[in-house]
Amino acid sequence: MNPTLKFVLAVLIALEISFTSSWTVNVILAVIGLVIILAARPGWKRLLSLIFWPLIPAVALAVAILMQSRSTGNTQFAIVLFTRIYAYVFIGSAATLTTPIYELVMSLEQNAHVPTKFAYGFLGGFNLMPKIVTEVKTIRVAALMRGETLHFWSPQLYFKAIIAALRWSENLAEAMTSHGFVEDAPRTHRVTVRIRSRDWIIAIGSLILLQGLLFGLHLA
Amino acid sequence: MSKTNAWHLRDIILLTLIAIFFGVIYWVIGPLYNLLTVALTPVGLGPAANDILMGVWVMAGPLAGYVFRKVGAATLGEFLGAVVEMFFGGQWGASTMISGVVQGLGSELGFALTGYKRYDWTSLGLSVVTTTIVTFGWDLFRNGYAAYHIGLLVALFVIRLASTFIFAGVLTRAITNLLDRTHLLSRRSA
Repeated sequence: MNPTLKFVLAVLIALEISFTSSWTVNVILAVIGLVIILAARPGWKRLLSLIFWPLIPAVALAVAILMQSRSTGNTQFAIVLFTRIYAYVFIGSAATLTTPIYELVMSLEQNAHVPTKFAYGFLGGFNLMPKIVTEVKTIRVAALMRGETLHFWSPQLYFKAIIAALRWSENLAEAMTSHGFVEDAPRTHRVTVRIRSRDWIIAIGSLILLQGLLFGLHLA
Repeated sequence: MSKTNAWHLRDIILLTLIAIFFGVIYWVIGPLYNLLTVALTPVGLGPAANDILMGVWVMAGPLAGYVFRKVGAATLGEFLGAVVEMFFGGQWGASTMISGVVQGLGSELGFALTGYKRYDWTSLGLSVVTTTIVTFGWDLFRNGYAAYHIGLLVALFVIRLASTFIFAGVLTRAITNLLDRTHLLSRRSA
């Protein structure tokens, strides 16, 4: 499926189930998401963490409703909140696990017409991700060597990371410009990403089906 | 930084890098959130963990707003941070992107109210208040806060306001003070 449409669909679904309270729809969505995730064949560790970690907020929200709500007997709503978390996570992971970030950015540029400077600037920055993770470790170790521990509430940690980011962004932007990247200039594409009619049918069909389910179950 | 509202390649890369850095931080404090939630759940206060840590999750917005001084910077910074967190495999899935936009718009509102002219405690303070109100409004629906009794709602709101004030206010101010002292941001606009 076209990456842009896939993510738009995932967000629309998440938005809609945030404002509706049907646990059956949540379960159906979670199952569909899980099937897509399983088809992408993630590792066991990834799969187990996808199932386990959402359990914590899901249980917390459900227990809080049971213990703290204004009216008693809100079991129904507790189940809705519990299943909603799983619908969010499985639908979201169904989108992220099946889409390399490169394909998403290319699709956003060509199909959603995001300006090229944003598409390639974001991609350039995103490719520095491993360097950022290393930099954060370096900053903390360097501080430890002076006997200082930097926590996530230490301004120094953020300050030093931003200084490094300032330097890298200048360098990377210069490198891209010297490789011929011109902001706002029209580009040709080696790989073209299209939205096929099948993509539209899946996206619009899913949304119509979701409305049908939500409305149908509401009436029932 | 620059007084113009145009985004250039290096701004976009810098914004992405800052967002990724915060994405990493969001992801790193995930276990802390889980620990707090597990500890508070038996007394039915699990969701409070969300409010206690809210300030950390909304820091990218005001910081980006302050560094770039452009319309949309806070929203974009917070949104990209959320996207990065989601690709890391954060435990909120697709709703992370919505939360990112909601949090970003919340902090953006603070800067917008001053017409993007003031970059001091006034705009930052306003941003803290608008972020708290907007994100709390979203949680009334998303996390079902609307069903809680009024005492808990007030308590959660106060906790969230305090957390946002400490992290998105005081800590962000401390970081931007350090940045201002380097004059790197003003040199960049030249």
